Amino acid sequence: MNGEERQRPRAFRLDDERIVVADGETPAPDNLRQDKLRKGGVVVETTPDAFAPGDETNEPRDDEEATEIAQSRGMLARALFSWGGLLWSALGGLVSMALGLWATRIVEDLFARSAALGWIGVGLASLFVVALLALGLREMRAIFRQRHIAHLHGALARARDADDRDAARAGAGELLSLYANRPDTARARALVKDLTREIVDGRDLIDIAERNLMAPLDQEANREIAAAAKRVSMVTAISPRALVDILFVGAQAIRLLRRIAEIYGGRPGLLGFVRLARSVGAHLAITGGMAVGDTLVQQVVGHGIAARLSAKLGEGVLNGMLTTRIGLSAMAVCRPMPFAALKQPGVKDVAPFLFGDGK
Amino acid sequence: MSILSDLLFETRVAASSLADYVTGTGLRLGVTGLSRAGKTVFITALVQNLLRASTAAKDGERVLPVFRVHAEGRLMRAKLQPQPDDHVPRFAYEDHLAALTGEDRHWPESTRRISELRLTLEFERRKGFRQGPSELTIDIVDYPGEWLLDLPLLTKSYAQWSRETLEASAAAARAPFAADWRGATLGVAADADESETEAKRLAELFTTYLRAARAETYALSTLPPGRFLMPGELEGSPALTFAPLRVDEGMEFGAGSLAAMMERRYEAYKAHVVKPFFRDHFARLDRQIVLVDALSALNSGPAAVRDLETALSEILVAFRAGRSGFLSTIFRPKIDRILFAATKADHLHHTSHDRLENILRLLTARAIARAEDVGAHVDVVALAAVRATREARVKQGRMPFGDRSELEAIVGVPLPGERIDGETFDGKGEVAIFPGELPADPKAVFRGDGLGAPEGAADYRFVRFRPPVPRLAKDGAPLPLPSIRLDRALEFLLGDRLP
Repeated sequence: MNGEERQRPRAFRLDDERIVVADGETPAPDNLRQDKLRKGGVVVETTPDAFAPGDETNEPRDDEEATEIAQSRGMLARALFSWGGLLWSALGGLVSMALGLWATRIVEDLFARSAALGWIGVGLASLFVVALLALGLREMRAIFRQRHIAHLHGALARARDADDRDAARAGAGELLSLYANRPDTARARALVKDLTREIVDGRDLIDIAERNLMAPLDQEANREIAAAAKRVSMVTAISPRALVDILFVGAQAIRLLRRIAEIYGGRPGLLGFVRLARSVGAHLAITGGMAVGDTLVQQVVGHGIAARLSAKLGEGVLNGMLTTRIGLSAMAVCRPMPFAALKQPGVKDVAPFLFGDGK
Repeated sequence: MSILSDLLFETRVAASSLADYVTGTGLRLGVTGLSRAGKTVFITALVQNLLRASTAAKDGERVLPVFRVHAEGRLMRAKLQPQPDDHVPRFAYEDHLAALTGEDRHWPESTRRISELRLTLEFERRKGFRQGPSELTIDIVDYPGEWLLDLPLLTKSYAQWSRETLEASAAAARAPFAADWRGATLGVAADADESETEAKRLAELFTTYLRAARAETYALSTLPPGRFLMPGELEGSPALTFAPLRVDEGMEFGAGSLAAMMERRYEAYKAHVVKPFFRDHFARLDRQIVLVDALSALNSGPAAVRDLETALSEILVAFRAGRSGFLSTIFRPKIDRILFAATKADHLHHTSHDRLENILRLLTARAIARAEDVGAHVDVVALAAVRATREARVKQGRMPFGDRSELEAIVGVPLPGERIDGETFDGKGEVAIFPGELPADPKAVFRGDGLGAPEGAADYRFVRFRPPVPRLAKDGAPLPLPSIRLDRALEFLLGDRLP
């Protein structure tokens, strides 16, 4: 058929004397095997069982799991009801009613003075409402986008694990639409788009998408983290007061989170930022004091040498490392796909200067 | 009249699903497939795996790694419950398990009729409102796939059915063994006087034809009516004593003619056989697994494969697939997940499983497109509910064919009487078998019109094996039977209800 040589179905009785059965654990003696083979005999070797529930099929992927839990705590959190939520909603309702009352009264007073002033008041109030609605809409969109990214992350991780072609295609499609308005990803998008139409295995498709679409974004995020870490360690090292350090580190961390969220999928907005911060906090808590890809030794040694030079310098290094870790956690949480084909960077990859090389 | 009866019918369907909803949070899992697809073995293995999974886990065995609720250690216990529907036979799980794992291990008797089994899973909920201990009751409904072929009859008149059946019998694949019955039918005038003996003779010839088409060497799937091959308690009743005649749609036949009698019986068959099955069992299913014995069809030849495709898409027309929402859960449950499973995947090396899945995907392409249109989840898997073989590599010294000397083979004990490579097996010794390779292009299996291909002519040949020797747990009962991708099937069918 089709000119290609097909092998005929065959059967080999294992109790046949020309056949040597080699078990995985007790391989037949080599000489016996060679002997049989030379005489036209047959060796049947038991192969490892492809369906045995081995450890590798279900290996605990700590990083990935941590990321997904972190996402579910912040970006994906959807509490339908909580007492805290009720409290704040009720209070918010009261405050806005008070504001409304106040605004109405002002407008009424203005009308009482002159109709023209009254109309100006009405106009300003409606401008305020329009702006408020626009801002609210933007917040909503930001939150939806964030949720979308987190969902996409989970979907792509599952599709990659299951090597599911359809799910991978769907995920890649969403990824493309996510970055559709980024001119710098045009080439990568075109490549991935072409591949989704061809026959590529699910896992390969996801890996290709990651290498092409994510790599430039990862690099950008790395640069941002490095820059923030550098600034933080410098400022901490030279700042005169502890309060300044704290304020600066906090401000830098916020800026870094926003920046990374922007790189991977747009501005988070205010509420979105709160959710993002919660996710990053959860990620930091789960991955513990140890950042991904680091060893304790590195940290102790790195810190140790610096600290020996000067206490202030040591604090700077420590703060830089903290910032780097926040950045890496944010990266893990904001990224629309898990680290699989690319290696997840560690503190040392992003901010090598903290450890004394190339500073 | 007909609108009224339809309305009544729908009301009863809605009533019974409301009753289901009120009486418990359960899941009705339908297991079907044409005969010899492996339904009985699948259910037995599924139940046995669930019942024994936690014991096996205590013994340190890792089973069902993909079935999340078990892999995460949240499946506490599974237990069989008394059968809830008093008028439906219970699935004889214990007998089938004894057949599989007993002294003289053999495959259990096949499904001849509908049966049910209730299983309760106790598990820990991890998500949602109620976290903590929870239960899921699963009713497994086992019914012959042939019965599904009857469901399209509900919308067909006698004349239409007659015409379609006669047309199908003229096809090249069926013509040889349809000749007897066809000749007799064409020789009978539709307006002849009604006669019980004539009706009986035609019905018997018709049944013989249906049975011949189903015989193993041809492995053609069945035409409706399905009960002719599996009559059950209705054997010999007038509702099963009819056959198609040469009649045209819109033709009038006087009272007392043979055609009128046949038509009346056809309608009786619909009213007393098809509709009750639809209402009492089929319309209440939530999940469905369709087992397909693709390997037998492949053994037989392209014509059998095409025939299987037709039968599968006929079956799928019957499914009320669709995404289920809250209201529809109560009043009109729809099947929201359908799994097509190519069974007996242990008969070929795992490197060929993707090809088998692709073939099955192609076979069910029409059905899948239709189900996905209405929002149901559909998946395709190659599985072996009970795995009877292990895998091995065969190395040969001299190379009688080509330049390759290594074959990816499977090792097992073939059933007595199975033939391959000019050898007939006795069902005792182990044999390493290279079944041939499935074509990389799944469309290739549809090309040509071979049927009942003799052993030795085909590129591949799948022999059947005896059940594996059971391994015992520490408590003396068998460990979960070995399987291939049974856990994946479970995860797909039940996973979302065990959050």
